[in-house]
Amino acid sequence: MKIVSTLVLLSLVWLSASCAKKTQTAVDPNVTTRGSIEVTAQLEEIRGDLIDDPMYDYAHVMKYKVVQVHRGKVDKDILYVGHYNPAEPRSSVADARVQEIGGNVKQFRVGDLHRMAMEVPIDDHYMGGIINKYFGEVNDPVYWAMWTDKAEK
Amino acid sequence: MIQLAKEVSSRGWIAYAARGESGTWDLFLMRPDGSERRNITNTADYEEGGPRFSPDGKRLLYRRFAKGAIINHDLWGFQGELMIADAEGSNPVQIGVDREFPWASWSPDGKQIACLTPKGIQIVDLQTRAVVRELPRKGIYQQLFWSPDGQWFCGVANARIMWTVVRMNAQTGDLNIVQEFQSCTPDWFPDSNRIIFPSRPAGQDGYGFTQLWMSDGDGKEARMIYGEDGYHIYGGALSPDGRYVLFTRCADDGGGSEQSGAPICVMRMENAPAIAGPSETLRKVHPEAKDAVVFQLVEGWEPCWTYAEIGATK
Repeated sequence: MKIVSTLVLLSLVWLSASCAKKTQTAVDPNVTTRGSIEVTAQLEEIRGDLIDDPMYDYAHVMKYKVVQVHRGKVDKDILYVGHYNPAEPRSSVADARVQEIGGNVKQFRVGDLHRMAMEVPIDDHYMGGIINKYFGEVNDPVYWAMWTDKAEK
Repeated sequence: MIQLAKEVSSRGWIAYAARGESGTWDLFLMRPDGSERRNITNTADYEEGGPRFSPDGKRLLYRRFAKGAIINHDLWGFQGELMIADAEGSNPVQIGVDREFPWASWSPDGKQIACLTPKGIQIVDLQTRAVVRELPRKGIYQQLFWSPDGQWFCGVANARIMWTVVRMNAQTGDLNIVQEFQSCTPDWFPDSNRIIFPSRPAGQDGYGFTQLWMSDGDGKEARMIYGEDGYHIYGGALSPDGRYVLFTRCADDGGGSEQSGAPICVMRMENAPAIAGPSETLRKVHPEAKDAVVFQLVEGWEPCWTYAEIGATK
């Protein structure tokens, strides 16, 4: 009886831990509902410096390698994604110009994995300055990142 | 300077935005020498800014913002409601709702406006308020203005780089670069051939200062109009005959719309290129520039000029 009770107790503890872990890694509904495209992708390259100038807003185009497509149609493995005011944490980046934006990424670092809700092309969804160091080199459409969460590797 | 003030005193009217007695932004009229200044909106419950005389000088287009709204120097054309009133501020009519008809600017006959929306450049008939024509915006993202002859638009765009002043053919939609790199807020000379714009050139120490520049529409002959180390020059606007230029000089970048504007200045175009103050660095870059002869008026933001006698009274 004591063995059975211990087993039940251990199962409950495991279940509880499992649930806790599940809650911690639950996918943010913002990233699963915003925009028409949702991917998990690895940040491969940030060309140029990220400018941190409170006077001026801009989007910086970054290169990603697609790991998984969750929603929408994505034809290529490499995506070029514009992030608004990338020197700002995603949680506080929304402002008067861009209100529908967010996420939990605090800093953009090459190699990080991001789960992103996006739209394409960027010009249909964002009106502002764009730093695109791939201009003239790459003709692919630029995606617009609406929600950017860090993803587990 | 006194001579300049006398010269312009009877040449029409300047409309501009400034803080009124209640502390909110109001619209004002004054003679180009600063006399006969009067508040023409005087609304304690709203903020107003961005006045533009219609081509015949009889009406004024502007934006009205909620009380307490911060007028963003880059976004103001997207903010608030479009308003059209008689030139002396009477009979104001709200055109559309909040954020509708962004960056509205007059057509040559004053019957239409051009607006810059995410969908494209929209030509709107003012009587029916219907979109009568639409062009792709081709990367233009703010500060759209229709040329006095109706043949062109100018604006700020993402071309090869952001903050590029461009010109667009209003019929074909063809786009050409006028000035690249940290250039914005373009507007037209009365001849529709040249464009005036602030620019913060590369190669300055640190952040640098914004100067007032001009270029032909092809972007082949850009040259400085006025510069002054220590000040950012915005709000460039020509008198209707192109003989005089208005601008604001602000110690902070952006033109001062977030605070109380900056002193409005008048200068003869024949004085350009001109430099004020010691500006040792700038004078080395522009050794041909003359000493600026500038008449400084009151603090304000986004001035515009008409030669029409619009009946404002003292």
